[in-house]
Amino acid sequence: MNKTKQALFSYSFIFPSALLTLVLGIYPIAWAFRYMFYDYKGFGTARFTGLANFRRILKDTQFWESVGNTFVYAGGKLLITIPLALLLAAILNRGLRGRQLLRGIFFMPTVISTAVMAVVFFTIFNSYNGILNQFLIRSGLSDSGVDWLGPKYAMLTVILVAAWGAVGNYMLLFLAGLQNIPEDVYEASSLDGAGRIQQFRYVTLPMLGPVMQMVIMLAIITALKGYESIMVLTEGGPVGKTEVMFLYLYKLFFPVGGGSAAVQVQEFGYGSAVAFVSAVIVGIISLIYFYASRRMNQTD
Amino acid sequence: MRLRTILGNIILWIFLLAFAFITLIPVVITILGSFKTNAELTAGATFLPDSWHFSNYAEAWAQANFSRYTLNSLIVSLAAVVGTLLVSSMAAYVVDRMDFAGKKLYIGLQSFTMFVAVGAVVLRPQFDLMVKLHLHSSLWGVILILISAHASIFFILSSFMKGIPRELDEAALMDGSSPGRTFWRIILPLLGPGLGVGALFTFRGAWNEYLLPLVFTMTKPELQTLTVGLANLKYGISAASQTHYMMAGACLSILPILVAYLFANKSFMQMTAGSLKG
Repeated sequence: MNKTKQALFSYSFIFPSALLTLVLGIYPIAWAFRYMFYDYKGFGTARFTGLANFRRILKDTQFWESVGNTFVYAGGKLLITIPLALLLAAILNRGLRGRQLLRGIFFMPTVISTAVMAVVFFTIFNSYNGILNQFLIRSGLSDSGVDWLGPKYAMLTVILVAAWGAVGNYMLLFLAGLQNIPEDVYEASSLDGAGRIQQFRYVTLPMLGPVMQMVIMLAIITALKGYESIMVLTEGGPVGKTEVMFLYLYKLFFPVGGGSAAVQVQEFGYGSAVAFVSAVIVGIISLIYFYASRRMNQTD
Repeated sequence: MRLRTILGNIILWIFLLAFAFITLIPVVITILGSFKTNAELTAGATFLPDSWHFSNYAEAWAQANFSRYTLNSLIVSLAAVVGTLLVSSMAAYVVDRMDFAGKKLYIGLQSFTMFVAVGAVVLRPQFDLMVKLHLHSSLWGVILILISAHASIFFILSSFMKGIPRELDEAALMDGSSPGRTFWRIILPLLGPGLGVGALFTFRGAWNEYLLPLVFTMTKPELQTLTVGLANLKYGISAASQTHYMMAGACLSILPILVAYLFANKSFMQMTAGSLKG
């Protein structure tokens, strides 16, 4: 087959993929990039306003509150998820009876839709008639139940639900990393008299460094961008207590359906600018983490 | 020393079982709750149902329109799987086996879309495009967008493609088989395991997708998928009094993916574990 024929055949085979990627992948990104300099509400004509959207962001207290909430949410989620996932992976990596089954159980939440689980958790945590509160009251553990989705505890509840869905995922990634550590290192260290905990501290942790750096990076980005479960569970409420960056952003594009009164009109131009700033914030955090964690990458 | 190890083991198992309990309990509550009456469910007094109401499913199926939602979910997921596998295996084949100008650019484009995911932002222009194509009030818009996000499957299939010996299809080409015929007759059958993993990943993603179908069905409730229909029950006027339907619906939406996961558990675990190595 000559070169021209091969090229023609290749283009015909790659065409569907390339077309879909360009039209539905690349073009939308370019679209958002353009409109962040426009005042555009989704109808009528777009008006070029230069940097006005970005000046508005600086004064948008709702947005900056959502940024603060995002840090609380992401920080809380990571503090629960990462140590737990690491611990479970370390335990399940060694010869333990039933570890396959336990791995299967712990990983299970990640195959279930976050939206569906958020609905279920809503019926469990619901302050009135919620299953958990009914249980607490009936068993005499609490007089009137806990206002799980109220202003005081909503963020905690949202974090717990998010952690429930995420631990198994990071456990699996840690397990993959642990399996790359040669068995003889453990044998040598146990000959030297190291116990399980010492082995974890002086063998597992240092050798897992590079994988850990990568996994935590992934976890940070996912946590900063996550909002699907919050959207179903609390819609950002009550009074914006669980409004996170990417949920706020979503509401700028699709105000319909959201019950929270935070945003009521479509704001494509402003939304694009908010998206850009949000992406930059995620990028900056990732970079800071990357440089701060370089030590992890040095295995010695 | 011996006593310490025994004690350590006991603590270890208490921890593991407690965590397994926390992981399973919401799912168990859902499954058991789907057989309770609404009153029993909201009273929260029982763990096992007083009596098993299998009729919840029949009623959720008919009254809460879950037959429609399930059908929509199936259409979206299966079409997304077929489309994604087709589009990305064809691309993976020519990228791995053929020479043509722009190959590097194509690979660059695919990795770019994989790393730059801006969620809600791209959803808006994607929706506008579908309006122009008159696909915004059908599930085809959702399906096309799901298929367009095939970058990760393309890379997975590419790595499987490298494992198929080149001699095989080179020999076929020598014998006068056209490259298209070689792809259908020789490459695709050999790509079986890769296609299986790709199918599971795509099915999981499409079946669980929430935002895309939500946006595309805002004006057309009859097009809602299971995830959307279920979440919307929460907002409905009658939702507060129909928790048992929500539980039955949640089970309808969880069970297929759970069964697929249990069957594929072993190869799936190895695959995900393997994908991090190298």
